[in-house]
Amino acid sequence: MKGSIMPAEATAPVKKLRTRPFKLMKRNWDLYLLMVPVMLYFVIFEYAPMYGVQIAFKDFMARFGIGGSPWVGFKHFERFFDSYYFERLMLNTLGIGVYELLVGFPIPILLALMINEVRSSKFKRTVQTVTYAPHFLSTVVVVGMLFLFLSNTGIVNQLLRLFGIEPISFMTEPGWFKTLYVFSGVWQQMGWSSIVYLAALAAVDPQLHEAARVDGASRLRRIWHINLPGIMPTIVILLILNVGRILSVGFEKVFLMQNELNMQTSDVISTYVYRTGIMGAQYSYSAAIGLFNSVVVFVMLVLVNWIARKVNETSLW
Amino acid sequence: MVNQSRGDRAVEWVIVFLLSVVLVVVIYPLLYVVSASVSDPLAILKGEIWLLPKGFNLDAYVKVFNNQDIIKGYTNTFIYTIVGTVINLIMTTAAAYPLSRKDFYGRNVINLIIVFTMFFSGGMVPMYLLVKNLHMLNTMWAVVLPGAISVWNMVIMRTYFQSSIPFEIQESASIDGCSNLGILTRIILPLSAPIMAVMVLFYAVGHWNAFMSALIYLTDRDKFPLQVILREILIQNQVDEMASVVDDTLIQYMMDVEALKYAIVIVANIPVFILYPFLQKYFVKGVMIGALKG
Amino acid sequence: MKARKLSTFLILCLSAIILFTACSKEGAAPSPGNGSGSAGQSNEQGSSGNAGAENTAEVPNLNLDGFPIVNEPIQLKFLAPATPTPDWNDVLVFNEYEKMTNMDIQWEMVTSDALDEKKNLIISSGDYPDAFHSAGFTVADLINYGQMQGIFIPLNDLIDKYAPNFKKLLEEDPDLKRGLTMPDGNIYSFPRVFDPNFPSVLSGWKLWLNNDFLTSLKMEEPDTLDELYAYLKAVKTTDLNGDGQLNEIPLSISGDYRILIILRGAYGLGNKGVMHYYVDTQPNSDELRFIPTDPRSKELLQYVNKLYTEGLINQDLYTVKSEETFARATEGLFGAAIVTNPRTSYNQENFIGAPVMQGPYGDRIYSDVKSSLANPATFVITDRNPNPEATVRWIDYFYGEEGMKLFFMGVEGVTYEEKPDGTLAYTDLIENDPNGLTRNNAISKYMTWRNGAYPSVVNDKYFNGSEAQPDSIEAAKKLAPYFPDEVWAPFSFTVEENEFMSTTGADIQNYVEEMEAQFITGQASFDQWDNYVSTLEKMGLKQYMEIYKAAYDRYKQNQ
Repeated sequence: MKGSIMPAEATAPVKKLRTRPFKLMKRNWDLYLLMVPVMLYFVIFEYAPMYGVQIAFKDFMARFGIGGSPWVGFKHFERFFDSYYFERLMLNTLGIGVYELLVGFPIPILLALMINEVRSSKFKRTVQTVTYAPHFLSTVVVVGMLFLFLSNTGIVNQLLRLFGIEPISFMTEPGWFKTLYVFSGVWQQMGWSSIVYLAALAAVDPQLHEAARVDGASRLRRIWHINLPGIMPTIVILLILNVGRILSVGFEKVFLMQNELNMQTSDVISTYVYRTGIMGAQYSYSAAIGLFNSVVVFVMLVLVNWIARKVNETSLW
Repeated sequence: MVNQSRGDRAVEWVIVFLLSVVLVVVIYPLLYVVSASVSDPLAILKGEIWLLPKGFNLDAYVKVFNNQDIIKGYTNTFIYTIVGTVINLIMTTAAAYPLSRKDFYGRNVINLIIVFTMFFSGGMVPMYLLVKNLHMLNTMWAVVLPGAISVWNMVIMRTYFQSSIPFEIQESASIDGCSNLGILTRIILPLSAPIMAVMVLFYAVGHWNAFMSALIYLTDRDKFPLQVILREILIQNQVDEMASVVDDTLIQYMMDVEALKYAIVIVANIPVFILYPFLQKYFVKGVMIGALKG
Repeated sequence: MKARKLSTFLILCLSAIILFTACSKEGAAPSPGNGSGSAGQSNEQGSSGNAGAENTAEVPNLNLDGFPIVNEPIQLKFLAPATPTPDWNDVLVFNEYEKMTNMDIQWEMVTSDALDEKKNLIISSGDYPDAFHSAGFTVADLINYGQMQGIFIPLNDLIDKYAPNFKKLLEEDPDLKRGLTMPDGNIYSFPRVFDPNFPSVLSGWKLWLNNDFLTSLKMEEPDTLDELYAYLKAVKTTDLNGDGQLNEIPLSISGDYRILIILRGAYGLGNKGVMHYYVDTQPNSDELRFIPTDPRSKELLQYVNKLYTEGLINQDLYTVKSEETFARATEGLFGAAIVTNPRTSYNQENFIGAPVMQGPYGDRIYSDVKSSLANPATFVITDRNPNPEATVRWIDYFYGEEGMKLFFMGVEGVTYEEKPDGTLAYTDLIENDPNGLTRNNAISKYMTWRNGAYPSVVNDKYFNGSEAQPDSIEAAKKLAPYFPDEVWAPFSFTVEENEFMSTTGADIQNYVEEMEAQFITGQASFDQWDNYVSTLEKMGLKQYMEIYKAAYDRYKQNQ
């Protein structure tokens, strides 16, 4: 028996789509009704404020408002690109983003698949509850613990010494920064991120599993051919969404883990903006950087989405 | 119960083993946090705490709860979370359901319009002006309305509707004379327990931990949510670099903050942390079968 | 069917109404403040600084001196940070003052957490208060909101006519005026002033030596770099706290900033004080010098590098937290430390202030000295203020003796009393609060000065911080004779200059910081020094110095 489940919508009768648009709209009038408050929300709270995007191309001065402030074209962008540290910032930010994706994305999926297989519900609930707890710790506490465990006298270095290995100065070695950042993030978020996949797994029809078991399929084969395809749309969508977050390396955690000695690998866009005192009144400059970020990410996203659509028929839009 | 093959049992043991490792790796630092919150700050500073608390005392908790604003903070956060999450669920479902229907004409365009807002926004200044012009400054609505629909969550919900609920069911209901709204209420929602549980979790936790909107839009102290109050406790004794303040109170402050950090994390999160076990039952396999039979 | 169609219609109408009202409220770009005429272009000379086109000759309702300040009560809106004193509308200091002045100040409190963002948003929304108190504005803000946009009004004339206390300060200390005057010749703010005769607060964090260790080692206080090195070396190799372990930390520091500014004077560097970390002047000349690339800086870094590699400085100086330092201090491990006051910060009684070190070329300067103009922009008046004259009179009080007493000490008989020897001390209400409040919290209950850099003067009579402790004052006495002859206040840059300074300038400063850390720890070898200098030049050091010179020339001229 062929293993994968066909996506449900592929079996929907096609002829309906050929009906004239107006007829479709009329028949689904209540769906449009549902969308009215939704669109209202987006118009008021998302699109109306978008005129603020202009700030990136102007020298914003409160006295004149956004509309009245003078145009300066790409001045702020150039300022950003010309910075001595531009390359480093981009490399670090992208580097961390990609690293996080490569390591941090598959792990929650694996976790969910494993948890789903556990038969003892008590064990299952324990694992779920424990793994999702770190999500609630504040960044300050997590980084504090990081410093504690990784300091010269911390538990990790003590273990190393036991094995005759030289202690490593984790928090100041530039080479370690990204790894520490990513893995501590995985530790903190993997349980939380697995929740979505657990929900998707809950919707997989157990009868399929029964049938496969009767046919003699082993557990691993069942996971591979039933569970995984069953949640594939969810996986793909989340992958796309996460690519959309690739340049959003959070400020607080990096800031807390940063110091003069590891700057080469720990300096990211958000900390640079903060450090050069650009928050507060220099709206235009930070707006330009933000816009640049958004454009880069959007382009990446269009690409990834296009690939996803071709391969799996799943798309963000 | 069907008997498992040897191979399957082996796989199960491997999984249990791996999960146990995960359990230990995750739980140890958590226990540390709990221990630190009830330990003597000096011991924490010296790095003497490993697993069990040292110099057991509840000072940090006392300090937190002594703060008169804490109760108000909790109350406010409860209200904002409940109101906010209800709005979120209604709005997000209202968006996700139509967009999940292949026969919803215009869905591609609308999807694009909505997703676009995930990447481009006007920034803080226009948002602030908007909130001000809508007379929402210093009201609950400033905290609860912007962000009523998280596109991220909406997309996830939409994907769930599309992939986990067969279109045939909806079709046959439609043939039976059920309106779209009826399909939504009588078929989709009952089958969506897992994703609704996830949404409740995501949104509720989001509201619970939120402080940025509150900081910017609220001015009355008695409207402050929990997180803002807690942050204040931590920065309250911040020392003015250039002309510092006296005395042993600085020492006291350093000591206090150490244990405070941990106590605050626990105080802040216990209520929402226990939300999950209640929602866990919705992540049970086969929730659809029961609904289908119904 | 009918019901459904009706409800649909109603929903649509409702939505339309919401949409319509939302749109009409939104409108086009928001109008800024009530825009009093001036389009905010930079004035060439000090304007008269009135918002409401008041006739300066005769301001009704205002008393030119004494109290109350106004005959008919007026109301003004001020904004202030809310931590740790959360509500200035009901606090002893300002309650008293309202009674005296007849001016009802409506305080808008903003959590300190959100202060930076919120104050700018509030200004951007056009709905800003009449004045900002302790709001932490920078010189760049003064130029931006003051000179460029006219949101902060020029104060020159107002000070001249209505601020006798502050005017006196300006006359006595020309540096204040120089630092406060913006490129267009106007003063836009009231500052926090450090009394020039209070060396302890001017020097802030100091180097302290463990007197017990010195005694056990039978060593004199070191006062040259070599002697310092010898002392630190001895501390490292002797078990001085008697615990059987060689775990003493000869010198405990956090980050390299302070050790560098404290020791740089031994190389003759930093001869204009600490407000300008990167620039001073060539010895015996008025020519500007970029400190980090000077060969003497290399020597300074080599010295500190030697201390680091020989373990005489705590190896985790770049990551150590203040709490950890404190924990180590309590074990009596420090041979020396850089801190405001070891007794109040670490509970350690046995430290003495270190003397100023002499370097290999005979220089003995103590460079870590702040200018009396500590924070230039602690109080600003906006163009929405209907009564700037009264406001200036209001704030001027705090620059005089009586006002300082009120601000720092509170009300006599309630929060402080005068001792027989003339000094002032807090009463038990503060020191031993009946409700068990700590001293700090008790202070914050009645006074507001802990909320941030305030518009007033810090002197040792009324200020009771660590720097006012007797041992701090003693320590400062040792340092005072070696203070730089001239301590520069912060310079102000024009908008174009500021654009450079905040990008390339910031990058340059960043690079220096990173490299200095690498030189100190040995991550970068001193062979790379020439490379370091040439990179800085490539980054735009020449333009940096040109801009600095322009700002300096303006500074000199502002009399």
